[in-house]
Amino acid sequence: MKFRCERDTLVEALTTAGRATAGRATTPAASGGVRMAVDGNDLRVTGTDLDLTIRVETEVIGLDNGICVVPARLAADIVRSLEPGAVTIEDSDGEVEISAARSRFVVRTLPVEDFPVLVEPAGNHVELDTDKFAEALRQVVRAASTDDARPLLTGVLITRFGDGIRLVATDSYRLALRDMTGAEAVPDGVDELLVPARGLGELQRLIGSSSKEDRPLGLSLADTDATFRVGNTRLTTRLLSGKFPDYQQLIPPGYPSKLLVGRDAILEALRRARLLVRDNTTPVRLSMRPGTLEISVSSQEVGHESEEIDAELDGEETTVAFNPAYLADGIEAVQGDDVLIETTDSSKPSTVRAPAQEDYRYLLMPVRVS
Amino acid sequence: MVDRAPDELAGGASRPRGAEQSAAPGCSEPPAHTGQEASAGGSSAPMPRVIVHVDMDAFFASVETLDNPELRGKPVVVGGTGPRGVVASCSYEARAYGVRSAMPTFEARRLCPDAVFLAGRYSRYAEVSEQLHRVLATFTPLVEAIGLDEAFLDVSRPVGRSLPPHELAAAIRRDVVEATGIECSVGVGTSKLIAKLASEAAKPPVVPPGSTTGGAAGMASPASPGIMVVDPAQEIEFLHAHHVGSLWGAGPATVRRLEDLGVHSVGELAAVPLDILQRRLGAASGAHLYRLSRSMDERAVVANRRAKSLGHERTFPADMSDPDALRFELARMVEAISERLVAEGLHAGRLTLKVRFADRQTITRSRALSPATCSARVLRALGTTLLGDVDISRGVRLLGVAAGNLTRRSASFRQLALSEAQVTRGASRRRKAASAGTASAGTASAGTASAGTASAGTASAGTASAGTARSGPGEAWQEEGAGDPEAWQAVEGAIGRVRVRYGQGALGPLSLLSKNGIDMARQGESQWGPGEGET
Repeated sequence: MKFRCERDTLVEALTTAGRATAGRATTPAASGGVRMAVDGNDLRVTGTDLDLTIRVETEVIGLDNGICVVPARLAADIVRSLEPGAVTIEDSDGEVEISAARSRFVVRTLPVEDFPVLVEPAGNHVELDTDKFAEALRQVVRAASTDDARPLLTGVLITRFGDGIRLVATDSYRLALRDMTGAEAVPDGVDELLVPARGLGELQRLIGSSSKEDRPLGLSLADTDATFRVGNTRLTTRLLSGKFPDYQQLIPPGYPSKLLVGRDAILEALRRARLLVRDNTTPVRLSMRPGTLEISVSSQEVGHESEEIDAELDGEETTVAFNPAYLADGIEAVQGDDVLIETTDSSKPSTVRAPAQEDYRYLLMPVRVS
Repeated sequence: MVDRAPDELAGGASRPRGAEQSAAPGCSEPPAHTGQEASAGGSSAPMPRVIVHVDMDAFFASVETLDNPELRGKPVVVGGTGPRGVVASCSYEARAYGVRSAMPTFEARRLCPDAVFLAGRYSRYAEVSEQLHRVLATFTPLVEAIGLDEAFLDVSRPVGRSLPPHELAAAIRRDVVEATGIECSVGVGTSKLIAKLASEAAKPPVVPPGSTTGGAAGMASPASPGIMVVDPAQEIEFLHAHHVGSLWGAGPATVRRLEDLGVHSVGELAAVPLDILQRRLGAASGAHLYRLSRSMDERAVVANRRAKSLGHERTFPADMSDPDALRFELARMVEAISERLVAEGLHAGRLTLKVRFADRQTITRSRALSPATCSARVLRALGTTLLGDVDISRGVRLLGVAAGNLTRRSASFRQLALSEAQVTRGASRRRKAASAGTASAGTASAGTASAGTASAGTASAGTASAGTARSGPGEAWQEEGAGDPEAWQAVEGAIGRVRVRYGQGALGPLSLLSKNGIDMARQGESQWGPGEGET
């Protein structure tokens, strides 16, 4: 195998594919290696941990067809450190030579046969609106659990809803829900998908780093995995199986208190309050009064803080305490200048959303202060 | 008195000087419990405390002998081997030649030229010390370590076994000897002073003359080797037979002044009026010795070690492959761990399961607990899940479980879960039912807890109310242990209070009920025992 390409192109390919190797170790080659395959002028760089696979395709000057597996992290670091310009990669008998300008690295490769055999994605295919889907991911993925002990909650539910789809994620303390009318993401014959949030997080990153003109987003679905295609990059994630908790009964039919507040103002206030919160178990207290929202935090070991910001209250005065990180997460996810915080009482879920829209809702349970 | 740096030798007791005046309860370090708290209930008529002093015999020398059996029976001296070296520890064989701790090494060489002189290995002694404290911690959280080889325990309100003092002392000594392989002496009294003097009296005798502990030998020889329990009724008599030099705070200069007064024994000291003592020794020192001579020593046992993890493990007499039996063992251990977490006000952030198979291959499985908890129910559920993922078909030789990532409980905040939003409508009713259930469980056991078998009734009361709490919707949200957390908290809080009051076996899950009462893992029932240490 031998090819030549621009340094930055190769760095990009190696780091992107390498991100899929960051998960759980499987075989030695797969745990830390990326596979480079040259066919004509096509280079494919693949990284996988079996749960998540990322494959980047890019055009290079192919000099010799072939395949080799290189240590992902090391190869990316080496190429990144080279002088800008053309890089030449050539493998021979258990080693790969990486050279540019007057630098020359020779690195041991990993056995190609140890790299997992990956199936080509097949099955149903749908096209997605890249920008809308990326925004929905931004709003929802944050609420998913990262606790492997609760595998179902580490996934984002993508389900049919009306004439579109709905994305839902929860870690059991908060729940983010986004409806996309008219969008297709669930191919015919499938009711819902439970996609690991980790894979979707990587997808978000891929979309974000791809150039504007190069980002049609496609989804192919097989029995046990889903493959997203962004431009020339492919991301395959294993699907979770199981019954996502019934979230619909949680959404209260109405709220006695509705508070309208500036998004930036409350985010700034929370940022200040969080200076006194060391472990995120100390809640911030929101006292909602006509015309004012008082935000206060009190930490036994550190000190206390309070401030008032302008707000419009529709309904009963109330006080409720939240985990400040969870609250800020929900508010950040809202689009627009204002957020509406709807509250029942200090022991029932509150909702954070944009005032005029109901397509995004963030349900958050309070912290009980006793 | 053994294994002590010379500067700590001045008084009879071995607390560093700076700390001596701080007998008041307010002196406790932030995370510490104090014995004072435990008995502070009625200051008008305080319950007599039960203080245990554990002292390893010839600690450093014993560790050397343990690691090198060829030294057994020989005089062994550990200490500075250079020209200005001092003896840090010496075996009883060396003591027979007159060698003592804190003696210059050259003098020890003169007295006993055939002794084996060793420079000492501190890290190894620290290791054995760790084993010692692991065992001690199984008896009470109120353990005050003094150096590597000594500790005070306040067992006025035992966490685990509620045993008569003599049996408790025997259990401590047995567990320590079993875990460390080194003999120790255990003294029990109503104060640190008496406990300390008792452990000295329990030390193996040194044959030649000059023994400083000789004074006590006549009236109170240990009933069993290595153990001395001073009956509160005989405390004064026991104390008065000692030489004044054995009192904490009586250094060589003080002793000389007292001897000038014709005062040698503590009994003679007690006969001297306060004003005379104060004139001779100064106001503070005089008052101090005056009080000690009357056995007035209120110094609290201040827990100064903090557990990093709490665990139990058990090697089975025969390999086990029955999942039900293993789950039962797990439940026993978890129950005991939970009880200690509750008693110490700790929450566990991680649970680790350890399994050693018949072929001795050992695996551990660990998982984070979020939120951190002390709930036996939650720990048991997670432990059971971890155990369920282990293939036990080849037979399990040892099962262990440890709670790690311990944090001090902050009871004031609790992040509510979405699943609780579902329960809210019926919750207050259910909560009342649950707390009513435990309240009656509490009173039921109040009447009957002393009888071992009576706990049958209370156990079912506890589980009955727990059952009420379980029947909430929203199970899909919580993979394990669904239910109304508030109700469960009330149930477990009540169980904790009953246990604190009536002892470990007073209340427990029905599944652990046997004909002998609640079959909970006993602290220190196997050699690893529960303990602190990293997981």
